[in-house]
Parts: sequence; C-alpha cells; structure tokens
Amino acid sequence: MNLRFLTGLLVFLLCAVPAAAGYIEPDSLKDKVTKGELPPIDARLPQHPLRLNITGEGKAPGQYGGTARILIGGQRNISLMTVYGYSRLVRYDEKLELQPDLLESYDVKEGRIFTFHLRAGLRWSDGEPVTTEDFRYALEDVQFNEDLSKVVSPYLLVNGKPPVFEIIDDQTVRYTWEAPNPDFLPQIAAPQALSLVMPAHYLKQFHKKYQTEEKLDELVKANSEKKWTGLHINKARQYRPENPDLPTLDPWHNVTKPPSEQFVFERNPYFHRVDQNGRQLPYIDRFVLNVSSSSLIPAKTGAGEADLQAQNIGFADYTFLKEAEGSHPIKVKLWESGRGSRVALFPNLNFEDPVWRKVLQDVRFRRALSLAIDRNEINQAKFFGLSTPSADTVLPASPLYREEYAKAYADFDPTKANALLDEMGLDKRDNDGVRLLPDGRRAEIIVETAGEDPVETDVLQLITDHWGAVGLKLVIRTSQTDVLRSRVIGGTTMMTMSSGLDNGTPTADMNPRALAPTSHEQLQWPQWGIFVESAGEKGTQADLKEAKELDDLYGQWHKATDSQARTDIWHRMLSLYTSQVFSIGIVNATKQPVVISSKLRNVPDKGLYSFDPTCYFGVYGMDTFWFDKEGS
Amino acid sequence: MNDVTLLPPPGQPLSHYVSTAPFDPAYGEAMSDQQKRVFLASQWKLMWWKFKRHRLALLSAIILAFLYTMIIIAEFLAPYNLGTRKVDSIYAPPQKVRLFHDGNFVGPFVYGRTVQLNMDTLKREYKDNPKDVQKLRFFCHGDAYKFWGLVDSNLHLVCPAEHGQVFLLGTDQLGHDLLSRIIYGARISMTIGLFGVAVSFILGIVIGGIAGYRGGVVDLVTQRLIEVLQSLPSIPLWLSLAAIMPVTWSPLLVYFGITFILGLLDWTGLARAVRSKLLALREEDYVLAAQLMGANGTRIIARHLVPGFMSHLIASATLSIPGMILGETALSFLGLGLRPPIVSWGVLLNEAANVNVVALYPWLMLPVVPVIVVILAFNFLGDGLRDAADPYR
Repeated sequence: MNLRFLTGLLVFLLCAVPAAAGYIEPDSLKDKVTKGELPPIDARLPQHPLRLNITGEGKAPGQYGGTARILIGGQRNISLMTVYGYSRLVRYDEKLELQPDLLESYDVKEGRIFTFHLRAGLRWSDGEPVTTEDFRYALEDVQFNEDLSKVVSPYLLVNGKPPVFEIIDDQTVRYTWEAPNPDFLPQIAAPQALSLVMPAHYLKQFHKKYQTEEKLDELVKANSEKKWTGLHINKARQYRPENPDLPTLDPWHNVTKPPSEQFVFERNPYFHRVDQNGRQLPYIDRFVLNVSSSSLIPAKTGAGEADLQAQNIGFADYTFLKEAEGSHPIKVKLWESGRGSRVALFPNLNFEDPVWRKVLQDVRFRRALSLAIDRNEINQAKFFGLSTPSADTVLPASPLYREEYAKAYADFDPTKANALLDEMGLDKRDNDGVRLLPDGRRAEIIVETAGEDPVETDVLQLITDHWGAVGLKLVIRTSQTDVLRSRVIGGTTMMTMSSGLDNGTPTADMNPRALAPTSHEQLQWPQWGIFVESAGEKGTQADLKEAKELDDLYGQWHKATDSQARTDIWHRMLSLYTSQVFSIGIVNATKQPVVISSKLRNVPDKGLYSFDPTCYFGVYGMDTFWFDKEGS
Repeated sequence: MNDVTLLPPPGQPLSHYVSTAPFDPAYGEAMSDQQKRVFLASQWKLMWWKFKRHRLALLSAIILAFLYTMIIIAEFLAPYNLGTRKVDSIYAPPQKVRLFHDGNFVGPFVYGRTVQLNMDTLKREYKDNPKDVQKLRFFCHGDAYKFWGLVDSNLHLVCPAEHGQVFLLGTDQLGHDLLSRIIYGARISMTIGLFGVAVSFILGIVIGGIAGYRGGVVDLVTQRLIEVLQSLPSIPLWLSLAAIMPVTWSPLLVYFGITFILGLLDWTGLARAVRSKLLALREEDYVLAAQLMGANGTRIIARHLVPGFMSHLIASATLSIPGMILGETALSFLGLGLRPPIVSWGVLLNEAANVNVVALYPWLMLPVVPVIVVILAFNFLGDGLRDAADPYR
C-alpha cells in the first residue's frame, strides 16, 4: 500500500524537477511581482511542486485568466469552493485511488502507523511556510483541546484512544495508533476533511494557550464574540471559508467577509500545483459566487449567468437548459449521479406499532414491496429511460460492483410479490382488495417525504399504483426535513422516501458505515444506529439477526489490516444488505446536468457527480479548468 | 235586558254606532295595483328586483351557480379520474377539438397523436396524426369512480374514443389530465371560501354582537383587538399560522385547518360592521320592549337585532369569499397550504411554479384562469348584493 501512490496515475506523476526549472508566472500576478508586492514564482512554489500532466481526451494545458461565476443557494454554500477546489494532504484521483497532494509522500505500516513527509517549501496563501508545528497545533491544540472540540472526531480514535503524535524531523510527522485505523486517510481525502493542518502562525493569536488574557479579551470583544473558543472556531473555519484572513492551501481563497450576496475567491499565489509546462495552477484567476434563491437558479443558469453550475439544477431542467444553449453561450453536459439510488424507500424497522413492526421486519414483506415496483415505468416516465433500474447499492463504476447486488429483487414481478405476501399471512383482503394485517387493519403504508424534491412525490404517485395492484395501499404524506428526521427517530413514521446510499462508488478502503446500523440518521433503523453511536447508552440493540450480522461485519472491517480482507467484508455486507432489502432502491445512475460556459475547457463530458467521494468537480481538477478566449 | 233602540236612562252614556264595514287604513290614499306591488313587497323581493338590475352581478351569480353545480358533479364532468395518468402522454400540450375532417362534418373529434422523444433536448414532441380521427363520446362509460364516495358509476359527460385520448387542457409531468384536475381542484378551492366565511361569520357576529350590545369595556377591548389584528400584514400571519399546523395532520385535516386559519383572521371587518349596526339598533324602542319583557342579551341580539341587517351581512360575506380563495391559493402556492395528493388550484399552480413550465409547458399555468374568473364573479356578485341590500335607497 505504501508504494501504490508511486506507481500511480500519470495525472499525478511526480517529477523531481529542480526548483529553478523555469516555472511560468500567472499573468495576473506579474504586476505584483514587478512591484515587489509578491516574491517571484520560484520563491513561492515548493521545491517539488505537484506536477500535473494534463492530457487525455478533450484535455489540454490552458491559458491564464478569466472570472468564473457560480450560483449558490445560500451564504453557507461557499463551502462548495473547499469541495470543488479539493486540495488535501492526500486526495483521490479520478480512479478513486489515494494520492499524496499537499504531502510529498506518505507511508503506512500495519494499517496503524502513518508517516507523512511534508512538501518542502510549501507555503500558506499568505506566504508563511507550512511546518510540522502546523500539524501539531491542529492535533494537540485544536482537535484534542476540550474547549475547542467538545467531541473528538471519531476518526482520530481507535478503541477510544488517540494517536501518538511524533515530529520526526522538520519535514516528517507520524501518527501511531495501537490498532489499525482504516478511516484515517479516507477522512483526510473526504469532501469535508478531517483537519490535520492549520495555520498556527495566524491562529495562535486567538488561542488561550498562546495569547495573553488581556489581548485575547480585547480580540473577543472586537469580534463581538462571547468567549475565546467561539472566536477561535470562527476564525479557524476551514471547510466554510468565512474568514478572509485565514491562510489556506486551496487553489482560491475567499476575500469577502460575510454577510454578502456575492463572494469573490481570488487565486492563491502560493498554490502547490503546476501543469506539465511549468505554469502554476489554477488557470482561472477568480471565482465569483452569487447568492440566489434556489428556485431561480435553473432560470438564471439558462440565462447564462453561471459559468460552471451543477448545484440546484436537476435533470428535470435539462430540456430547458438544452434549449437555452441555442440562445446563450452555455453548454450542457450530462454527468452521472453517484448515489446508490436516486430515490429509495426506507421501511422503518423501529416503527412504534408492534404489528406493523413485525411485518416490516419480515424480509418477505420488504422483498415483495421491492418486486411490486415497476422500475421500468418510473425510469421511462421520470428519467426518459436514461437511468438504471437498480436496488440501493453500489454503481458499476465502483470496484465492488456485482450485478447480483443491483438486480436483487429489482425485477418487476407482481406474481412473486403476491405469493410472498400471501405466504407471510397477509392473504386476507377487504372489499376494496386491500390486504388486511394480522390484527384485521387494512395494510395502508404511510410513506413520508421531506417534500423538497418534486421527484420524490412523483415517483411515489407511480408506486402507489404499483403497490395497489398487489393489495397494498400507499398514502403519501409530505413533511419537512427536520420534523421528518425526529419523527423517524421517535418511531412514528412507517416508511420514508429519501435518496439512497450517499457514496455509490466506494472502494474497499472506504468506510462501509452506510450498510450497517451506525447512525441516528439512518432512516431504516435509527434506534439501532443510536445504540451503536452511543456505545450502548441510548437506543435499542438490533434484534434482527441480519442487522446484527451487519454490525459484526462492520466491526471486522475496522480490524482488517489489508485491502483484500476489507474487500471480502464489503462483499459480504453488500450481499447481505441487498438480499435483505433494508432499503428499496428504485433507479440509479440518473443524469445530472452540468452547465458550463461555452468558453470553459477541460471540464470532462462525462463524470460522476457526487459529494462523497468525488467532491463534485474536485477529483476532475477544477484548478485545471480554463477559459479559451478565442472560443465561442 | 237592554234594548238598543231605547234611549238610556238620564245620566247614563248614550249607546254608539259601530259600522260593520271592514276597516281600510289606506282609505283616502288608495294605491294602484302597481303601487301595491312595490310598497307592500317583502324586503327580499325588493332586494331581488334591485339585484336583477345589476347585470354584471346577475351574470356572476349565474356563473357561480354553474360552478358550484359543477363541483357537486365533478366526477361526472371530468373526462378522467383524479388519479388517472397516461405514461405515454407526459407533458402533452392541449388538444384541439375539431368539427370538420377533410371538409366533412364529423362532429366533435380530436386527432390522435404520436409522440417522439427528442434525444438531444430530451423533450417529448407530440404531433397530430390527421389520419387518426378520434370522435368524442358523450354520456359515455369511462373511468370507474365512486360518486361522492358512495355510488359506483362510470358515467362521464365526455370521454375519448375507445383507446383514444382527450386532453383538452394538456397533461402534467405524470400524464394527468389537467382539465380533470382543475375540475376536481375546484371542489377544494371553491368550498374553502365557504367554510372560511362560515367561521368568520360566526366569529364576527358573536364578537361584534357582544361588543355592540354590551358597549363599554367589552367594546373597548374588542375594538383594540380588532385594530391589532387588522394592522398585522395578512400574508406573513397566514404563513406563520400555517407553519404551526402539525405536519403529521392528514391532508383533510390540513384542509380544515387552513379554512379555520383563513376564517380566524377575516372576522374583524364583519365584527366592526355588526358592532356599529348594533350600537344604533340597541337604542330602538323594540329593544327596550324586549328587555322589559325579560329577554336576555343573547335572545335580543339573535332574535331582534341581527335579522335587522342580515342582508347587509350576506353582502359583506360574499365580498370576503374571494379573499379566502386567494388566501388558500397563495398559501398552497407557497407550499404551506394544501399539499399533494390533495388537488386544489393553488396546489396545481404550485406545481407549475418553475422555469421549465413557463418556458416549455405553459398550459400548466391554466389553473390561473378559473381563479381569476371566480374571484371576479364573487366581487361583482358581492357588489350587486351590497347595492341590493338597502333597496329603499
């Protein structure tokens, strides 16, 4: 494993180019360099910058310049730039393999000893060097500071114990746990990353340990905070870059102080990547994020008010956007959604009604529900037949994909569904042809949705008819996200419709938490999830054999030391999960329109659109996108 | 035994003559039959005459009567059931009803359609097929339904030809017939105003009645309350009230909740009118008489005072119905009122509220038309009724 990155992709090929290899200064920075406001390019780049080889279909090294506009639904969404920019200590490449990025290299021993080699000469966006002190500060003074982090990130604990942190030399740090920590690297590469490096030289002024009390009080007052902790947390927010003064390692850094309707991100002159010709990345000088009402974003996008837009537009807007191509300088591409299922049904196995709970926990019932759905019709009616009818499972793009998972009880077979329902004792029907529960009530399944996604209600209306044909009455109830969540946890919802697995393209090294009871947010077994989450203090223990088995497998995955063992466990979990139909997938690989300016280059025609693990545009290298001035 | 022909003894009063002819109070100012009709007509009759002369109001009344009849027999009038959808006719534009084919009269018919999926823009493109003449059927058997949820039937006013289709106002994203949905939606949208007005009527009369009749502190408090309520902007208030309605309520409960909210905020104007009328009327002698006879407050308000200006109340109630209908439509449009699967005009408009509909499927905005028609009709009707309510003026 420690050698994998060395034999990695061409795209991330490291070249030991000497520092004075004639790196090219970005046009927009030339002025500042001549005036002496910025050191020249060779002094800004690390000794060995990360050299990207931009080749391949439709890709070419580009020109500097331009402003790219993005529309966002609210101020909080400026975190998108951290996700899109995707600059991490280690990151996934397009094949979802881990590669060093900000780090020069790293090695892992026994799955528990992680040694990071820093990139010599790497600098923060304010020009200060990145040092081992920044790593120590992030871990000891922030992550393990009880005032700043109420709860220590679970990914930093193994068996409840923190790592031993060592500074080997000026360029090397090491984290050692007593047992394997397979979550560590994937979490660093995640869209919302585990923060292991922070600009200590800037943040120390807000930290109680390093600042005099009087000065700290003054700063707290000046920033209208109540305590120094609030001050530090707000100043140090890396995921949502609200503090324009915070030094960063991202390709662009925010220069606008919220609240604002428009956020400007300027290029980071110290960014560590260069293209094959020695041009410092990113190509695009500036990103402008405009806040807009989310329902207006499709219309504005169609009117050419965005240069790179995928958030807040959906497949239903495709026809409109495609027609707008003719009248505005935009281009629409269709990417593929990376979710396990565009929408999925989650029977609540912790439903409060004992009769219903027994029915829902019966695997025959869940299988029958799944078999009774005519996925083909849904695909034709809502997705023009362009998506894939599938169970809620991994996509073909994942190395863990097997056809049997996608096909598990995903065929349309009402006869078999009827047989299963009869077999489990729901064979009596009333005058309307609706099946009766063992206690004589009508089998009316109430499915609740958050009501924000019109696709959900439309699909449910189609399923109403499908289930009606096998004697099950579906009642749709729309609610609100927060209310729905608390109702599911309280056991007052019978079934929920929401989106399927978040990460539809996992590798064996990614955490399989979505397949086992692990969280209160899981709509199919919230109480069992809480039990695991709280280590048995709250919630109830899974009393279904298969759910317990998934829990066991999840534990085994954590103890596994090599990829092969993890692959085996993943397959066992996927096989168990899909054959038990713990969530009922409908269609996946649905299309996601991506609208770009017709001048924008290097945006792939096909891609996987997902938050986790591809960070939307992140793994496709947004720093390599560029505007063709001559282009149309 | 006295004899009437005899004079009474001295000192006693004389007997007097009583005519046996019937008493005519209008003796000396006799009216022609024409005059009699007017001066002796009941108040309701007078109102009707006055109302008849307001042409626009009369027309509005006819339209509304027609629409309310329509919602009673919605199942029969709608060509399709509320839930009927055709997956092969998603986002189909309205079809034109024709009479002549190839120059020959064939009666009302529509052309059959072929649909093609444009794989470039992913748009369904519908084309009329002029060879496929689909004659409409009348009083025909179509989708089976339960009339008022009681009687099984499948009789419809209009049906498409066998294996044909008729979408006079087009279809939505699941292939529902929009015309049928508008007809069913009328049931919700047009009754919500009535229920709401009933609530506000009761509240207005009771609160206004007490304030007007009791006067003093009660009146003062009520007046201030009304002023506060009236000074609140109505849409945000509706929104916040609608937001506190538990989301767990069934759609039907939500429907009644919304009517209640609308009624709850609308009674103030009516209460004021009732109060001022009562303030004037309570000084009348017949109220004093009733009080002397021992009638209590409730009886006096309900039996003696309110009937005195009932006609006026009806007119002002009519004028507040359109406000309610608009209120429901606005709330549902904003997604805080009724929610699918309940279908009202507001819900239909909510579904039409996105850029795709405006640009590509404009017929989905058609539910605006009945909303405008009904609002205008109610306004004209209320106008006419108000004029008629005081027929002597």
